[in-house]
Amino acid sequence: MAEARNYKRWRVLAAVVVIIGIAGADHFTSPTFLANLGIGGVETVLDQRRGGEACAPCGAPCPSD
Amino acid sequence: MTSATTSSAAATAAAPSRPQGDRFIVSVALGALAVLGAFIAVETAPFLAVLLALGAVLGIALYHGAFSFTGGWRRQVVQQRSSGLRAQLALFALASVLFAPFLVADPTLNAAVAPVGTSLLLGAFLFGLGMQLGGGCGSGTMFTVGAGNIRMVLTLIFFIVGSVVGTMHLPWWLEQPGTDPIHLLEVAGPWGAVAGQLALLGLLVAWLARRERQRHGNVEPALTLRPASGGFWQTLVYGPWPFSWAVAVLGVGSLAVLLVAEETWGITFAFALWGAKILQAVGVDMAQWTFWTWDYPALALSDSVFVNITSVTNFGLFFGAMLAAGLAGRYNKASQGRIPPRSLLAAVLGGLLMGYGARLAFGCNIGALFGGIASASLHGWIWLVAAWIGSYLGVQLRPYFALAKE
Repeated sequence: MAEARNYKRWRVLAAVVVIIGIAGADHFTSPTFLANLGIGGVETVLDQRRGGEACAPCGAPCPSD
Repeated sequence: MTSATTSSAAATAAAPSRPQGDRFIVSVALGALAVLGAFIAVETAPFLAVLLALGAVLGIALYHGAFSFTGGWRRQVVQQRSSGLRAQLALFALASVLFAPFLVADPTLNAAVAPVGTSLLLGAFLFGLGMQLGGGCGSGTMFTVGAGNIRMVLTLIFFIVGSVVGTMHLPWWLEQPGTDPIHLLEVAGPWGAVAGQLALLGLLVAWLARRERQRHGNVEPALTLRPASGGFWQTLVYGPWPFSWAVAVLGVGSLAVLLVAEETWGITFAFALWGAKILQAVGVDMAQWTFWTWDYPALALSDSVFVNITSVTNFGLFFGAMLAAGLAGRYNKASQGRIPPRSLLAAVLGGLLMGYGARLAFGCNIGALFGGIASASLHGWIWLVAAWIGSYLGVQLRPYFALAKE
């Protein structure tokens, strides 16, 4: 390594673990995870996508709204 | 590095020396991408794992190409040097040509079209102002945070805060004067829309080059194909890329996002979503705000972040930029030295303004500007004008926040 590191490795690792951990925790409490477990009666984003039920991913309302 | 030094090194070395990469950062970025990719593929859907990879490629292109919307705009205002801005316009032109046939052939693809009105004008103006204070736009904030820039972490945090506040106010702003989306592909037909956009982009490039020549007597090339130093493969892996490479990768990559995701590349909806999820996790009922009762945001809020297309692409972009910074041996390099308190205040204000503005304007420089023009939506052009005015004001304000104007 030509230059000294100007960061602490544990901080980088901790940040990555926290990001993935929070995202993972969100997933394990989600309808998609429940659907994966075979629990029915939940609507998921992937269902919505297959049904073409939503528009305007930018967050704008649908033109007909 | 001076040109004399470059020439000397090139003359004395048979093969230019390879940059010293940072193995730890490269390993962490690749490991995170592998873990996330495998998890997403198993738990959600394979197309989302593909989007993670595409996000990583886009992050690498943004970092290695130093493709800064904020810096390019500021350099034009302050120095009348426009190579960065002309490269951005070339990217819009390329994407406009690439997107049109697919958007016409497949109506299920979600083009970036949005209403034109008070909300858009104010939002884009605030975004432009904020990006000069915050030090990066939507894509810039994500890729610089990924590259370890500590100040930009603060900008991102307040970008998220501003985004959530923006979602609370957006329905009210949409009641102010405005029109439904105006899709030029439908109004002028595909050929007319693309030809009109290319003509306008060409005129802008010519005008920028003329102003640069008047000021400096020459025009910096925006789209050189050859790297400044090093061979093709070395430059491809370790950077820095010429703008032309970044334009090509970002253009084709954004088309790939459109085809895989069935919607245009966006960044900032995820910021609002992450903020809303945090509020919901601490017990706030987000359904009291109209925005979070609309179909798309409501289900995005209740479901996994790993099935939200924008979030997954952002994760890829983040770790792609980290990978590129590691390969270049420049991870965290932008965080050297003490950051003045006024600069931190600018990061806070800039983040808030960008977050609020992006929601009112239906996206940032990627989702609304790039995606809007690539989709031939009038709102992309309006966004450009309003954000430019805000950015101009922001450039003038930078010295008050201990930020270099140039």
